[in-house]
Amino acid sequence: MTNLHHTSSPKNGESKKPCIAFSGDGDAVVCRFGGKWSLNDDFRDELQQDWKSYLKRNSSFNEMSFELEESVQWDSTLVVFLSKMIGTLDASGKKIVLNDLPEGLRSLLNMSGLSPTLSKNQYANRKLYFPDLKFLFFASRFVSFWGEWVLAFSRLVCGKSKMRWYDFAEAARSSGASALPIVTLISFLTGLTMAFVGSVQLEKFNAKIYVADLVSLAMVREMGALMVAIIMAGRTGAAFAAEIGNMKLNEEIDSLRTFGISPIDFLVLPRTLALFLMTPLLTLYADVVGMLGGLAVGTQVMDFSVLHYFEQTQSALSSMWEIFSGLLKSLLFGLIIGLVGCYKGLNAGSNSASLGKAVTSAVVLSITLIVVCDAMFEIIFSYLDLR
Amino acid sequence: MSEALEKVSKVLELKEVGLSYGDHKVLEKVSFAVREGDCVVVIGGSGCGKSTVLKAMTGLLEPNGGKVMVRGRDYWASDSVERSLITKEFGVLFQGGALWSSMSLMENVSLPLKTHTALGDEEIAQIASYKLSLVGLRGFENFYPSELSGGMKKRAGLARAMALDPKVLFLDEPSAGLDPLTSRRLDDLINELKESLGITFVVITHELASIFEIADYAVFLDAETKTLIDQGTPLQLLHSSAHDQVRAFLSRGNETP
Repeated sequence: MTNLHHTSSPKNGESKKPCIAFSGDGDAVVCRFGGKWSLNDDFRDELQQDWKSYLKRNSSFNEMSFELEESVQWDSTLVVFLSKMIGTLDASGKKIVLNDLPEGLRSLLNMSGLSPTLSKNQYANRKLYFPDLKFLFFASRFVSFWGEWVLAFSRLVCGKSKMRWYDFAEAARSSGASALPIVTLISFLTGLTMAFVGSVQLEKFNAKIYVADLVSLAMVREMGALMVAIIMAGRTGAAFAAEIGNMKLNEEIDSLRTFGISPIDFLVLPRTLALFLMTPLLTLYADVVGMLGGLAVGTQVMDFSVLHYFEQTQSALSSMWEIFSGLLKSLLFGLIIGLVGCYKGLNAGSNSASLGKAVTSAVVLSITLIVVCDAMFEIIFSYLDLR
Repeated sequence: MSEALEKVSKVLELKEVGLSYGDHKVLEKVSFAVREGDCVVVIGGSGCGKSTVLKAMTGLLEPNGGKVMVRGRDYWASDSVERSLITKEFGVLFQGGALWSSMSLMENVSLPLKTHTALGDEEIAQIASYKLSLVGLRGFENFYPSELSGGMKKRAGLARAMALDPKVLFLDEPSAGLDPLTSRRLDDLINELKESLGITFVVITHELASIFEIADYAVFLDAETKTLIDQGTPLQLLHSSAHDQVRAFLSRGNETP
């Protein structure tokens, strides 16, 4: 190793290893580069060590000049290495002489502009955030968004809103009627599956006909609202986030603001209201289709007559509250999905990656909130003796 | 007396405005004034915060420091009613046109009119198609933004920005992406509007030809220090700016004569 430092490197590139050699006395040191500097080799770490240990041993010099051996072959690795060295020397206040370097290398060094002060600043700008504080920030933003929505809604009630009813109708069509096929399929299969699962258990007690009770009660109380909400979150909530996020990306939201048109009135209100009204309707539809799924199993697999199954269902649903409780939930679910989707869209960042993130988090957040709310509803209902 | 006049003639004034996105500083202590009827051009290298200056001037971004004065009043100290009155005088053309994608060109231009005026539908339609023909888009009234080219979107955006007959028009790179002839026509349009209607312009542009054609006044933002380093008429800046990069910018990298 010492060999490398104080003698000049082998001539004619006999060894292709890149090397540095230092010569000169106490005050002015000459640093010579030799060998082959190439992106494909990996000797830089070693050289870095050599350079550091040289600096440690000799810190008394005031001036360092750089030159290349004739046989040296170099590419950007040398430029980067050299600019790092210059940075270190610069920071410790040494004089640097570059005059002996070839013109091309000098201009590359100039253009790279890798001065140590710049890179330090770049890192100083980055800070770590504590996740809990970020959560508080998010919560406060969401609350203020909710407040703006309430204000916009009251403007609508007073007839002062700028909401376009055409947008409302369009959102209602795309989140309501267009969702019918998927809602039909999912809720029919949900009813059917529940009937199969229930029939196996109920057969043990010779109470197979109670499959009708099981399916109808489960559908109207829970599964109808929940299934529709999950479909809506994945379908409509995501679409809202993507649509509004894209508008933000194209500065459409900014241009609304410059005309004094509130994006809440103009974009968020029609979408959320449409979903708020469509979700209960779809839930009612899903309840019926789910019961039809149960009926299919009851008549085709368990050999009940349609009338028998129907009468049993009717007696299970003797109270309308069973149905209303499900619809009540779905009203709230619709609102949650609409608000979360629009909020995430409005707060998407200004590049396409953050748009994808906004859509994903809109779906995840709304499904989480839906399940949490559903559980809270059930707890409240059972404490109030409503079940 | 003359001081009072001076104040009135300043439509807009930035006083030591600073702005940052999170920890990332975009502007630092930028101060300049826009006088009534002038065309002020904001120039500077890419990433020097030109669009951010525009957003700070139009009330879209609240500065972290300094003041934005509109006709002598502090914009961010006014209440929301006053603010919306102030911004009603502004028209903004964004970089990509920023047309509302779910509406046809006609609806795009008429929405501000419907929102802020008591005109009847027929009148609004007439005004909207007049504005569209001003920018050479007659016959495209029922097209949607997705059916237009980039340059047409930009022109439609300009028509929309002019919808409410604004006193101040902010244009963010109006001629980027336009062919030389169309961009020349746009410059002529700007000069014409300035002369005939007395509209004040704040324009962000990179096009040297445009700058010398339209600008009464230019301010230069420096990308490195994030601040305003020089201001004056374009010719003053070109010939006698104390900063090398300003002269280089305006002479396209050639040394000044």
